[in-house]
Amino acid sequence: MRRRAWLYLIIFLAVPTAAIAQERAAGKGFIASIDAVFSQFVAFIFQVLFFSIGGFPLIVLWLICAGIFFTIQMNFINIRAFRHAIDIVRGKYDDPNDEGEVSHFQALATALSATVGLGNIAGVAIAISVGGPGAVVWMTVGGLFGMTSKFVECTLGQKYRIIKPDGTIAGGPMYYLSAGLADMGQKTLGKILAIAFSIFTLGGAFGGANMFQANQSYGAVSTVLPFLPPWVYGLILLTLVGLVIVGGIQRIAQVAGTIVPAMCVLYVLCSLFVLLTNVTAIPGAIATILSGAFIPQAVGGGIIGVIVQGLRRSSFSNEAGIGSAAIAHSAAKTDEPVREGIVALLEPFIDTVVVCNMTALVIVITGAYNSPNYAEIRDRGAGAELTSAAFGSVMEWFPILLAIAVFLFAFSTMISWSYYGERSWEYLFGEGTIIVYKVLFLVATFIGSVSNPTSVIDFSDAMLLAMAFPNLLGAYFLSGQVLIDLKHYMRRLHSGEMTPV
Amino acid sequence: MSLFSKDRVLVPIDFSEASFQTVAETLEFVENASHLYVLHVLPYLNQGEPGVMWKTVTDESRKQNVEKAFRDRCCGPNYEGIHFTTVIGNPSEEIIDYATDQKINLIIIPSHGYTGIRRFMLGSVAERVVRFAHCPVLVVRQSTTNLPKTQRA
Repeated sequence: MRRRAWLYLIIFLAVPTAAIAQERAAGKGFIASIDAVFSQFVAFIFQVLFFSIGGFPLIVLWLICAGIFFTIQMNFINIRAFRHAIDIVRGKYDDPNDEGEVSHFQALATALSATVGLGNIAGVAIAISVGGPGAVVWMTVGGLFGMTSKFVECTLGQKYRIIKPDGTIAGGPMYYLSAGLADMGQKTLGKILAIAFSIFTLGGAFGGANMFQANQSYGAVSTVLPFLPPWVYGLILLTLVGLVIVGGIQRIAQVAGTIVPAMCVLYVLCSLFVLLTNVTAIPGAIATILSGAFIPQAVGGGIIGVIVQGLRRSSFSNEAGIGSAAIAHSAAKTDEPVREGIVALLEPFIDTVVVCNMTALVIVITGAYNSPNYAEIRDRGAGAELTSAAFGSVMEWFPILLAIAVFLFAFSTMISWSYYGERSWEYLFGEGTIIVYKVLFLVATFIGSVSNPTSVIDFSDAMLLAMAFPNLLGAYFLSGQVLIDLKHYMRRLHSGEMTPV
Repeated sequence: MSLFSKDRVLVPIDFSEASFQTVAETLEFVENASHLYVLHVLPYLNQGEPGVMWKTVTDESRKQNVEKAFRDRCCGPNYEGIHFTTVIGNPSEEIIDYATDQKINLIIIPSHGYTGIRRFMLGSVAERVVRFAHCPVLVVRQSTTNLPKTQRA
């Protein structure tokens, strides 16, 4: 296959190139028609998923109820085990002889590189544009409860993982849904849920993790390079992603993977810098955010509108309850599923409670959330551009740094999610046809770059959030087992049976 | 060269029960384990795979694990002397290349007998091997429904 990889790559590049040649001849015809068909398709999916119950879209209610239910059932494990989680990540409980691919820390970093990204930069800005500054409070609430959803799904991911003959791991919701429910005598239901999950994951891999990333990163890059047309950006991104996922060039993925954590730290430092230069404005900003959360002004849908917006963007950012992270966490080296679940609960904390709040404070302090100067950007729903403008008002050079960071975040998210999608494809169709998946993935990258933000954001949300239906339904059934395992684990931990190294 | 040579016989396996059954049957047929060549083809890994990103999973470690898994599964005096190889790539291409390089005289390949969409999507490794192999190929058709659920060696 490696022999043919280059041939495939040339074909991928040739298809859009030919289309662009036509586009030049026929004005904007080609791109406009992609956009029109795509928008209609999205509208249909939306009606199903966002069926409103008392003002709350079905899917949002579904996610937050799961978070609250699990948090109570597991007796606030998200708070109880926080300290232990940090100890595990520091390697105190690592055993190199356990089966798996990577250490606890490495598994967490991998899962984080898939989640920390545009959701933290663009997603927060979108939530604030639509729901006002108070949306951030609800994002944080969503993140705190999401920690327990993440704990449950990642524990299950470890528990039902499959170790292949070559020592690599196949795990994630499709495995715990099918095997876990089969153990409970619900074989058919498990199979249906696993298949539904895999299909939605493919949608999420094409949508939220690919088109959305391509689209929003173009937004940020184009603020620095305004002369760059979307289709050129699309081609550049398509080539880079193609080199990694089809060409098998390891260096690019590894470089992106190592730069991303550094970028993340740099982003937080820049946020802190903006906040410190406006230190006197912080109490006012916090007051604005808090009052916006409970007494929203001029927001469509009133307080419910704000809550919905916050919770929705929260799930999209930290992916708790979505099930995706369970795929990465199942690769950790351990013989204690609960232990990896505890590591995983740090993820929504870092992603949403820390990083998202940083972005939010910057947007509020700099006035980007309500200043008429930025009204045009807010109306277009171009989240990354709004964040870029907010930082840029304090640090002129920041948009350049942000453009680089956004590009790298987007790129690493796409690579990680291409792996999630590939596992789902493999589950559905087997290993033999993965090349078809890769072609579709690259096509989606290009479409995302040239399509308009609103329909891309809607489609991303829809597919990604839909994964939560089968995942959490199965998790409800299996959470009793998780609770038993958790109690057993905690008893051994407190009796001193597990000695840290 | 006879039609069914008992010398240099290749059985490609995918670690399914069906393929281990074929190995056992072929062993009976060739009579001497040293005439039996067993090949497993691993797929390339996705670059987003955690073990690849952190360089904790390498081609070498994967091959060692596969070899160990095979030796654990097919142990006992009868199996001593089997030539076992793991390569990474596209299954049908690698099987054909290996057969040519090793001057294999007969390939015995289990076929899953998938039907419908799975067959359409997967095609069949066996089909492609039959079409391109330089030597006779015996396809052992194994209907997935008829296969005993657990079958320990």
